[in-house]
Amino acid sequence: MVHALSEIRRVLASDGILIDLRPIADRWRVEVVSARETRETGQVTDLPLGLEDDEAANQAMREAEANEWFKREREEFFPLHYAWDSASEMEKWVDEEWTDFIGLDEETRQATRSAWALGDADSRVRVRAKMLITRWRKP
Amino acid sequence: MAKAIKDPEQNETRHLHKFVDVTGRRVLEIGCGEGRLTWRYASASFSTVGIDPDKDSLRVATIDRPSDLESKVRFVNAQAEHLPFRKETFDIAILAWSL
Repeated sequence: MVHALSEIRRVLASDGILIDLRPIADRWRVEVVSARETRETGQVTDLPLGLEDDEAANQAMREAEANEWFKREREEFFPLHYAWDSASEMEKWVDEEWTDFIGLDEETRQATRSAWALGDADSRVRVRAKMLITRWRKP
Repeated sequence: MAKAIKDPEQNETRHLHKFVDVTGRRVLEIGCGEGRLTWRYASASFSTVGIDPDKDSLRVATIDRPSDLESKVRFVNAQAEHLPFRKETFDIAILAWSL
């Protein structure tokens, strides 16, 4: 990662901007939503690999900052939703696409299935991911 | 494969535009994948290069590229650790879910 940041610095013009945009593991909330209501049904489980990825990325940026390759200008967290038409589609996605870094315990699975099945006709399932965006400038 | 709608509220695009103005700038997007984020800002840039190590994703991005962006956006199969560009080629680099 540090080598990648060194390469990015090389191809950036002086005073150039680097935007680091990425999800952060933080026990993302699982919700069943309709036009009428939003119901939280649990949280995902952060698996070790995801936490290690976050720490490695943070460490790489700290190193780049210490080397004065980039200067941090602005930073913000914001939510980003993933949405599915049903609880089963959400479970399938988590199991297939996020298998290494996000888990879903049985209690949350059951609560989400139940809330979706008993919810309004327009109910969907969503996971509220936490995103980090940082603007860095090459001195 | 299950299908997810990612960022239906376009929070990511809103924050990207809040943090950087790409108008008239030379942009490098690292980890562009199939171009999901690229299409949300590239039209304002002077030029945009998306890189990704996954050739299949780049193939999709190239097929999906809107005709009005053909001269402005190109994709390169590369990794961030070895960028095939001269020094100081870009004004803005976007690490898109790739650090």
